[in-house]
Amino acid sequence: MSPVSVRQLTKTYGQGELAVAAVRHVDLDIAAGEVVLIMGPSGSGKTTLLLMLGAMLRPTSGSITVDGVDLAAAAERDLPPLRARHFGFIFQDFNLLSALDVVENVEVACNLAGVTGRAANERATALLTRLGLGARLRFRPDQISGGEKQRVAVARALANDPPVILADEPTANLDSAHGHEIARLLRQIATEDGRSVVIVSHDQRLKEIADRVLWLEDGEFRQLAAMATDPVCGMAVETGDGPHQELDGRTFWFCSTHCRDEFRAMPGRFTRGGENAHSITGG
Amino acid sequence: MSRRVPLARRALFQDRRRAALAAGGVAAALLLVLMLQGIFDGAMGQVTAYLRSSPADVIVSQRDVRTMHMSVSALAPETVAGVQQVDGVAWAEGIRYTTTFLVAADGRQQLSYVIGYDPATGRGGPRRLSSGRVPGRGEIIVEEIAARRLGVRAGDSIGLLGGSYRISGLFRGGTTITNSVAFIGTEDFAARAGNSLAYVLVGAKSGVGSGELARRVADALPADTVQSKERFAAEEASLVKDMSADVMRIMSTIGLLIALAVIGLTLFSLTLAKLREHAVVKALGGRTRYLAAVVLAQAAWSVVLAVALAAVLAVAMAAAVGRVNPAIAVVITPASVLRTGVAALLIGAVGAVVPLRRVVAVDPASAFRRAS
Repeated sequence: MSPVSVRQLTKTYGQGELAVAAVRHVDLDIAAGEVVLIMGPSGSGKTTLLLMLGAMLRPTSGSITVDGVDLAAAAERDLPPLRARHFGFIFQDFNLLSALDVVENVEVACNLAGVTGRAANERATALLTRLGLGARLRFRPDQISGGEKQRVAVARALANDPPVILADEPTANLDSAHGHEIARLLRQIATEDGRSVVIVSHDQRLKEIADRVLWLEDGEFRQLAAMATDPVCGMAVETGDGPHQELDGRTFWFCSTHCRDEFRAMPGRFTRGGENAHSITGG
Repeated sequence: MSRRVPLARRALFQDRRRAALAAGGVAAALLLVLMLQGIFDGAMGQVTAYLRSSPADVIVSQRDVRTMHMSVSALAPETVAGVQQVDGVAWAEGIRYTTTFLVAADGRQQLSYVIGYDPATGRGGPRRLSSGRVPGRGEIIVEEIAARRLGVRAGDSIGLLGGSYRISGLFRGGTTITNSVAFIGTEDFAARAGNSLAYVLVGAKSGVGSGELARRVADALPADTVQSKERFAAEEASLVKDMSADVMRIMSTIGLLIALAVIGLTLFSLTLAKLREHAVVKALGGRTRYLAAVVLAQAAWSVVLAVALAAVLAVAMAAAVGRVNPAIAVVITPASVLRTGVAALLIGAVGAVVPLRRVVAVDPASAFRRAS
């Protein structure tokens, strides 16, 4: 059985004529050791899906089973311990607790799962050392770099040895080098520890480490084969009737006529990037 | 219990300036409460100084007269003899008592209770003289602070009840902002203010308790009021308390309200500043009660620090006030610090209510919103 199994998951905000379906009838199975990258335009329901997967938002219907526990059916009071023990969260803004030093930021996650004292400290220290932060244990978040902050966040996510890691735009606030570093780390966590890693992101670089890339739009997963990347703005766009341009036997798709016009004005500027410039690859 | 990361303390002291301002603000408010209580306790000590130092176990006064302060008592001359016949009485001694002004040669005046007593036994006088000797005929003993106010010393003369008295000695204790105590011999008192007996001081034989003795004397003198010394002092304190209770209550309430406002604002601003981090803690699996404990711990820390600071400042200020104006006794007792601390803890709990409501309402999902 998959560690994470989602069936007919739906989230609707509002009622009647004002009802808006953020996620519609989503089915998803994530295996242990698998990295799933969920992409999609803003407002497509990615974060809503992530929140439901992380037991922070109740679905309107459907089920989410994590390690045999149905989150949708769990009592409200049971959700915090479920979050503490079954999930590790990685945020775009790192979200470290600014008053605590690096090791305490990881320790506090252990405390929330009931691990305290020396055991928590030793676990936090070991994780941080494993992630190359052994020399930064007593530093405060404002004393370390963005990449280091995200590594602390990764250590915190691993604090309670959860089967599932949920990462929301984990590389968005990082430069290229640190972004790659975190991406490799997430891949390593899945491969070496056998954890399921779900990443929600716009970052195309993460496709390199993903076993599967899912495209969410209007609350539903779409076929990746029908998707392309706008070479001007980098957005993933549907192929079909949208703005496009033929050049040297290749078809480029755009999010808007504005991007297409910019491309037409200076195509060389946007085609030098190589072969990946015009399509998304799915896992 | 194993150690947990002290999130409350770390967050509270992360911004040391804010923490210092909060503790200082609350401490200033509590200082007001402590000083008021200290002034009250000091005044109480001054008002009851004569009684507390008296060797008497029981005090007899005119029917329904229960204090010396703000009272006039007149007893029949045979009262002393009547008391002496009661079983268990070791001694009984009458004192005369009136309120008048002591007048210095330069015209300075001091309102004072004047007690006429028998210097030969000394039982109705001050327990100890700080200088000089007991008064003979035409002499008086005056409280040190009152003497300083009047600009007189032992050997000088002061006016009293229309006559002039030479100061034979000084004693300590009993002068307040408005009032003092002075002692002259019984005969001088009778000569100037009449021979009316005001109170009878009664000493118990060994093995007889003051309560039991008071009961026996009361049985023998049903027309008079008989109280143990402790009861008499309590009545005296109660009178002073009744006179100042409303002012004390109002000022203390104001002080505690200021403390409440400071604690409430501090915790509220701290909680607002940390709302996103609270959401993160909830997202990571923190229960609402964990965060509530964080807020309450911050309230407790603020209060404990403020009480400690206020107590130290109050003791220092009490000493300073005593040096500047010895007539104002400010007494900071452990009991009043404890009382103020308990009140402040309650205030802290109330001040935490609004921040607690915010913490309860924090949505863990908001941790995923982009920071602005």
